[in-house]
Amino acid sequence: MRLLIVEDDLEASRAMATGLSEKGHQCETAPDGEAGLRAARDGRFDVLVVDRMMPRMDGVTMVETLRSEGVQTPVLFLSALGEIHDRVRGLNAGGDDYLVKPYALAELQARVEALARRRELGSVQTRLKVGDLEMDLIAREVRRAGIEIDLQPREFQLLEFLMRHGGQSVTRTMLLEKVWEYHFDPQTNVIDVHISRLRAKIDKGFEKPMLQTVRGAGYRLEP
Amino acid sequence: MRLPRLFRTTPFRLTLLFLALFAAAASLFLAYIYIATAGEVAVRTDERVSREMASLEAVHRDGGVAALNQAVIERASVDHPMLYLLATPEGVTVSGSIPKSPIRNFSGERTWASFTLTDKDPDGALVRQPARGLEERLPDGWRLFVGADVGESEFYVNRILRALWGAGALMIVLGLAGGLLISRDVSRSMASLNNVIDKARGGDLHARAEVRGSGDEYDELAAGLNDMLDRLERSVGGLRHAGDAIAHDLRSPLTRLRARLEAGMIEADAGRKDAKAALHQALEDADGVLRTFNAVLAIARLEAVADVPGQTVFDPSELARSVAELYEPLCEEKGLEFRLEAENGLTLKANREFVAQALANILDNAVKYTPPGGAIMARVRRRSSGDLEISVTDTGPGIPPEDRARVVERFVRLENSRNAPGAGLGLSLVAAVARAHRGRLDLDEGPGAVDGSGPGLRAALVFPMAA
Repeated sequence: MRLLIVEDDLEASRAMATGLSEKGHQCETAPDGEAGLRAARDGRFDVLVVDRMMPRMDGVTMVETLRSEGVQTPVLFLSALGEIHDRVRGLNAGGDDYLVKPYALAELQARVEALARRRELGSVQTRLKVGDLEMDLIAREVRRAGIEIDLQPREFQLLEFLMRHGGQSVTRTMLLEKVWEYHFDPQTNVIDVHISRLRAKIDKGFEKPMLQTVRGAGYRLEP
Repeated sequence: MRLPRLFRTTPFRLTLLFLALFAAAASLFLAYIYIATAGEVAVRTDERVSREMASLEAVHRDGGVAALNQAVIERASVDHPMLYLLATPEGVTVSGSIPKSPIRNFSGERTWASFTLTDKDPDGALVRQPARGLEERLPDGWRLFVGADVGESEFYVNRILRALWGAGALMIVLGLAGGLLISRDVSRSMASLNNVIDKARGGDLHARAEVRGSGDEYDELAAGLNDMLDRLERSVGGLRHAGDAIAHDLRSPLTRLRARLEAGMIEADAGRKDAKAALHQALEDADGVLRTFNAVLAIARLEAVADVPGQTVFDPSELARSVAELYEPLCEEKGLEFRLEAENGLTLKANREFVAQALANILDNAVKYTPPGGAIMARVRRRSSGDLEISVTDTGPGIPPEDRARVVERFVRLENSRNAPGAGLGLSLVAAVARAHRGRLDLDEGPGAVDGSGPGLRAALVFPMAA
């Protein structure tokens, strides 16, 4: 994937580029909003990672300008401002996801990949398929190798998110934000328990476990 | 050249404006008095002339022209205040006190006229006086003129006018003086307010304007200014306190992190420890510092704001169900019985995210401290007092009454919880959320001691009715 990192803290920018290149992505960097805008205008990037507060042109203005020019590249905002209204402002400006500083590298990688994937898949889907796991979003049914699996509503949502990001790492924070819509860190890992319940339902009795724990990052649904 | 400060003040300008308005009104009033008085004088002069004419006509009726001539000569010879003239039908003067009738357009009947009389006063100076006169043709054709100068009456009118002018001048002087006094008083009141504002601008938020207790608009303004400064001072003080708290709270974990890194480096150098393991440990420590930082920042912010941002009206039972759903599997995993009792139709105006986090923290604690086999009950209800309660009751060891006030302070962890995970900020955050919404966090005993467990803890977030 081609990524553009727009961040005025060059140290942080370099660390991000190193971490993301590690995962096989090509990274370019821009030191401020104006340079970021110039680089991103032609839409050759798959994901833009944009810091909110930068000299010359801030991230929000940069993304607003891009969107007004019709550039639809997914944007991940990075910000030290983590209050709800800060997020809303970032997302309203045309951001697709919002990551509060400081963050773990694994979190950044997972979110960037999730954004790129969302773009690939495009619009409305009614059926999801990862390996031999199938989900019918209209009938709200889940089958693995043809055998129906009975899920609670929240388990269904959780699996849907994992399937939409099949093969990718997703972090606990992402799950908490996207499935439960909470933006705080619970002190205990409540998510783990939900995952192990889901795992019991979809992997039990099958030879190959699909729902895997990724050390230091989160979980991954392997096809 | 600029006017002196006093003359530029608003009250002084207003005084001038009112003075001008008042002077205009007074001039109209004076003009009316003048016209009325002068008119009255003319009427009275005319009456005097008419009366004299009637009396002379009577003389003529009784004694003919000779008697009339005699009477006119008599009256004109003494220093009579009136003017007389008797003329033949052809207009030839026979007798009188003036040589010629001042009436030019005599119509042949009774003709009135106003004219100016030129006379010499005892000093020989020329005196011009306004006069009124009446000329009549008597039945036998002779012409008789009687006139009177209105000078004496005019004199009174002039006296009145002079008095009025004097009064006007006095009014203007008094008005100006009053205006100056008022503007000095207002300037003094404003100077005290401006002084406070200047000090506040310079960073001194302790200065307060004097409230004199007169209840006028200056007092109101001063009170408003003082109230604003009170709020500002509290808010700034809150921020300063937050800054101090963050600095204090982060110093120890950062010191710990630094010490560990240093120790790790020494040990790695000595070959006793793997450098990678030391890095790993340091990363975990850094994450811990960041978590602490986030919690402390959230608490400090909540304590600093006067009004929580992002408040919405929502159903607290729905929120509790959603948070409970997050924690239920955890309870089950740990062998805890979990129950939620939530009333329907409740509303709460608050920052939903904060309340969710507060409830999550309480549930977190309950799960953490309740031994397997215990029970946790969450409850959302409207109390009879109207307050809204979101509470969690567990059957864990509880908190001794003497420690309950202490556990909501930052970083306080009781002896028996030392080895449980967490930084000791959970309940402080809950309490901060409650306080920020003008509510409180109540900590009580749970259901009591049973079979060696308990007495349990009941943690209740209480939001006042208006919230």
